[in-house]
Order: sequence, then structure tokens, then C-alpha cells
Amino acid sequence: MSEPDLAVPLRRRAEQALGDRFLRRALDTATTKFLELRRESFGDFPEGETLRDRAREIKEATLQALDRHLERLVEAIERRGGHVHYATTDEEARRIVLDIAKRAGAKTVVKSKSMATEEIHLNAALEAAGVTPIETDLGEYIIQLAHERPSHIIAPAIHKTRGQVAELFSKALGRPGLPDDPEVLTRVAREELREKFLRADMGITGANFAVADTGTIVLVTNEGNGRMATSLPRVHVAVMGLEKVVPTMSDLVVFLAILARSATGQRLSVYTTLVQGPRRPGELDGPDEFHLVLMDNGRTRQIAGTLREALYCLRCGACLNVCPVYRQIGGHAYGYTYPGPIGILLTSMLNGPGAVKDLAHASSLCGACVDACPVRIDIPRMLIELRKEVAERRIAPWTERTVFGAFARVLERPALYRRAVRAARALQRPFARQGRIARLPALFSHWTKTRDLPAVAERTFRERWAELAREDASGSGTRP
Amino acid sequence: MTARAESSSNDRPPRPSIAARTEFFERIRTEMGKTRGLFSARPAARPPRPAEAIETVQRQIAERWRETAQRFQREFERVGGVFHRAATIKDVPDVIGGIARERKASRVVTWNPAALGPDLGPDLVARGLCVDVVAGGNPGDVERARVRGVSAVADLGLTGVDVAIAETGTLVLRSGAGRPRSTSLLPPTHVAVFDPTALIESIAQLGLLLEAWHVPAPADGGWGGMITLITGPSRTADIELTLTRGVHGPKEVHAVFVEAPFRG
Repeated sequence: MSEPDLAVPLRRRAEQALGDRFLRRALDTATTKFLELRRESFGDFPEGETLRDRAREIKEATLQALDRHLERLVEAIERRGGHVHYATTDEEARRIVLDIAKRAGAKTVVKSKSMATEEIHLNAALEAAGVTPIETDLGEYIIQLAHERPSHIIAPAIHKTRGQVAELFSKALGRPGLPDDPEVLTRVAREELREKFLRADMGITGANFAVADTGTIVLVTNEGNGRMATSLPRVHVAVMGLEKVVPTMSDLVVFLAILARSATGQRLSVYTTLVQGPRRPGELDGPDEFHLVLMDNGRTRQIAGTLREALYCLRCGACLNVCPVYRQIGGHAYGYTYPGPIGILLTSMLNGPGAVKDLAHASSLCGACVDACPVRIDIPRMLIELRKEVAERRIAPWTERTVFGAFARVLERPALYRRAVRAARALQRPFARQGRIARLPALFSHWTKTRDLPAVAERTFRERWAELAREDASGSGTRP
Repeated sequence: MTARAESSSNDRPPRPSIAARTEFFERIRTEMGKTRGLFSARPAARPPRPAEAIETVQRQIAERWRETAQRFQREFERVGGVFHRAATIKDVPDVIGGIARERKASRVVTWNPAALGPDLGPDLVARGLCVDVVAGGNPGDVERARVRGVSAVADLGLTGVDVAIAETGTLVLRSGAGRPRSTSLLPPTHVAVFDPTALIESIAQLGLLLEAWHVPAPADGGWGGMITLITGPSRTADIELTLTRGVHGPKEVHAVFVEAPFRG
């Protein structure tokens, strides 16, 4: 699995993405379609707004008693014969899964799409340990064959054309000459993966929710791979961030009513799978063993931290589709597992604020994400907090800190501000054209390379105001 | 607290140490202790007597089931399902025979009659179909292997339905004795048979039912470890957002609605 090339700065990564005409068209089509479907599905669902408020409150209520709900979850799962494991770090999570695989003698593992396992780079660890992981979500399967990373939370391969997929399948699966017909390509994937499902020793999934009261892990999929991975192999391992717990079934149905609508505009996804421990007496299929890996990996720190609200996230992808930045540059340019507005927050949660010193600015703070978020996470507020943190901790580049530090000092002192305006007006003369500055030299060229800077006005508002006040005082002005 | 010695046996699943658990929860509690000035928030209100509540709901629906069935049909067709109507359970083998004929399907795997309600096996065989009935009770490894084999090659999987949600066109199936998970998953065509007693209106009502199914303690009376909500045929749009059906699960889902109740 290729790691993001973080040596390349965000600006360059974004430039590359902006220069890729296919990618931009694909992104535009996909995100526009998703957001229209979402809008339609909430349009004929008047109770949706109330449910979103309820869902938000449930997330907050759960966090306020998180220890209690997790304890109940653990008890309920163990009562049903399941095992719960505790991973504080990504390294521990990988070790736990490898350990389970080893004891089960697993050679082949089928995986259902899971951001939690992407987050801990589980596939590379499995491969290194001699276990073959097979991604079974069609999009994930495509990018696994191509050795790439997902570019969207719910549509991992939107950056690929059907032609590219046909070529990839032809080569990687030894089936030359496949047509670029999604119908045929999907059938090919079904055949290839069906056999893998029947032979795999272990299924690894994530979890969209876990119901504390009943010890139920909930998986939401459209393809049915989540059902396969939890019905056919001997062992099922679910890897889940600890914030996914909800108290009861009554809470669960509130989320079910808005999750698919937010993600794909469906009322419900095709399959909602409620898994309750291993196979029970009399059952003819289902796993012998069930394991839940409860994962912290930076989440607990945020219970009382800046990013608390990001722990509400359902991973629906709605904020990606409406984000003017994501819509232009796509998921890969962000450089980490989680892209988009929420991805910046999650990246900081997992990797620390140092990882987002540039990314924290990859947002126009327009607020479209808050409107789209099913649980109304205030992403812009947290992005501003992150920017502050990055500046205060001196993680931000010195140029940025110096320029903005100077700017702040000027704004605080009216006399200095007036002088600075006059100085800027003189200095901008060689660069300003029709009220805009399109090119600046040296250090400042980064800004003007991608956007114009408004020039200081010939007469500023403050100057005109002062003039008007003078005219008024001398009695020469006439009032209407 | 001291850590319990880990089992070293290789055939036993790994057991997390008590120490790891204690530490994990300790960290959560420490962080929770640092939070201040939170608005108090409440989770969803739980119905005090969910079993009675859902029973009342279903009794009311049984009186005006035609509307609810129509709504179900509309939504089920909207998500790509095929809806069939039969007057009584006696008409069902003809419906299934018709579905099989059109798809040139010959091999059928079906839930055990005890789970399905009626025993449709003989009538389906009489219509030229090759029918595999899964065993009820607690049959053991040999039957498990057989069921897996026949389900993997079957053309059509026949199941019952525990609940059908009209609002979303969703079929709800509980796994258990005689009702394998794979019957509605592995064959390319899934046929589900149910009657008006299975109908509910909404996801909110499903919440009542899910609460009822788990109260008081999970009854082990033959119920399995999975509840599946099925809303249309398996689908993906992962290649250029082109909607394609039957990627892993069935390409077709048929609902056979029997107007005269056949379940006890």
C-alpha cells in the first residue's frame, strides 16, 4: 500500500490535483450527484431536521456517559460469547488483529470497507505477517489492486475512469481484453470475490454503530460484502473507534433514519446488518468467534479537547461533497486517511496538530459542511481553533507567523493602522490594476499565484467618513 | 487489580488482559473528569413496554393492511424490488415457479418449514424445481457444510420475513435455527414470503420492535446472532457512479405478499 507522499507540500499536491482534468470532472460529477441526492432525500422528509437535532443530542449524551455505555457494551458482547479487546494506539490495534489472525490460523482475510482499518494501515501489517487481506467493497477492491488509497470516504474509487478499471482488472486478474462496461466489470469482481468469501478464514469489518444495551455491532453497506464477511468466515473481527457506541436500539433507529440519506440520498442503505456475537446454537452459518477491537488512537484525548465535537462524526461523507476545497482537489491531495473538512479535524486527532499546519487552512470556512452534516458538527469553529493552536504552538511556518503577527499589531493601533494604509497605498502602486493586485514579488508571490489581493482603496472608508464628518461640522453638507 | 494469566492454548481465542481494560477505562474517566460546563443532553426516550406497544401497532395495521401493503409495494419497487401478490399461501408455489421459470432457475434453497411457516418444498418439486430444505433444530457440522455448499450454487433462495417496513420497502430477517443468513445472500435471486402480520409502517416502529426483541434478556429460543435489514437488491455505484445491481448479494429481490395470514 503506497503511503501519502507528505514530503510534497500541500500546495503542490493541490496543484497536481487541479491540473488533472479527468479528476476534476470526476469530482465535480460525483460530489454534485451526491449532494443533489442528499438534498432530494431530505426534501421529502420533513421530520429529518428534528431527527438531526436528536441525533446530535444523542451523540453528546453518549459522550457525557461514555465510560458507562462502553462498559455496558462490553458486558453485553461478552454475555453473548464475544470477545472485546482494547487498543490505545494504532500499533496496539494492529497487534491485536494480527494476534487473533495467528491464533485462528488465518491465511486469507476478507475485509468489508472500514475507515478504522484504513486509519491504522492494517493491510500492510497483515501482509507483512503473511496474511492476505482482500478488500471486498468494489471501490476498495479497485484501489487495492491499483495500490492506491481511497479518495472519498464512501466512494473510494471515484477518481478512476471505467477505462482505467477495465485495464486494471484485465492486467491484475489475468483476464485480458475486458470491456469498459461497469456491468461487466462488476460481474467480474463478483466472481473473483465470491470465491474469496467462501474460502477466507477470517472477516474484518469496521462498525457504523455499536448498541451498548444489546451488544450489537451495526454495519451499513450497499453491496452485501459486510454480510458476507460476517456470515461466511470462521472468525469475525470488528475494528471500531470507541466513539461509535450508542446507548440503545431506540437511539440507533434515529441514526439509521438520517445516515443513508446524508451519504447517498437513500432512505436506508441496501443492507443494515445487526451483528450480535458469534453463531448461536442451531444456526447454520455465522462465525465461531466474534471479536470487537475497541480503538482509542487519539480519540479519548479529545473528550475534553478542542475536537470533542468531531467525535460525533458518522463518516457519511456529506461534508466532502459540499466543500468547495474538496470539490476542487479531491481526497488524495489531503495526504491522510480522512479527507475533506472533517478529515482535517480527524487527521489532527490522530496525528496531532502538527500534521495539519497547512491543512487547517484548506478551508474557506464557508460553513457548507455544518449545514450538510447530519449531526451538525461545527467544523469551521474547530478549524479556527486548530489554526490558533498551530500558531500558538509555533508549528506554523515563520513567514505566516511573522506576517500575521505584524498584521495583528497594526490592527490593534489606530494611528499605526492609518500610517500603514498610506504606506501600503504608496507601495502597491507598481502592482495594483483596477483595484486588484494580481502579482506580488518574492515572499508574497505565494498568495498572488493562485488569487488576487484587493488593493488598498484610493480613499478608504475611514478617510471618507472623516471627510464627511468634517463637511457636516462646517455646515456645508446638505442632508436629504 | 492484577492481570489474569493469559491462556496460552492455541485453539482458544485470545483473551484481553484485565489490566488493559482497566487502563483503557481509566483514561476515558480521567478525560471525562476534565470536561466542564457541558449542556446536559439526553439520549432517545425508550418505550416503557415496547412489546405491548409494537403489538398494538401491528394489530392496528392488521385492520388496514391494504394501505400499508400498498405503501410497502411502492417503496419496495422504488428501491428495485419485484413485488408479487398472492391471495393465499396455496398460490405461492405458482408465483415462485413463475419467477424460477423466467430466470431459468432450477436449484432452490429454502429455510426450514418451521421457520418459513408453510412447507412449500413438495409443491415446488412438483413444479420441476430441485429443492434443498435446510435442517431445523441443532443439526451440527455436517449439515452446516452441506447448507453452505448448496447455498453457494443455488439459483434461488427462499426465506420468510419477520417484519416488512412500508416507509422504506425494507425486509427484516432474523437468523436462527432453520433460517441461515446465506439463503438471502448467496443465490442471485432472493424470494421472501410474508403476510399482513409482518407489516409495520416506519423505522421508528422498527425501534420499538428491536427494543422488544431484546427485552427482558435476549431469549435464546432458537434466535441467531444476526438481524438483517434488506432494502432492495445488492448494488454499487463505485465505477463512475454507474448504478449496478448484484455485486455481492442478490441481483434480484422478490417479495411475495400473501393476503391471507399464514403465520401463527
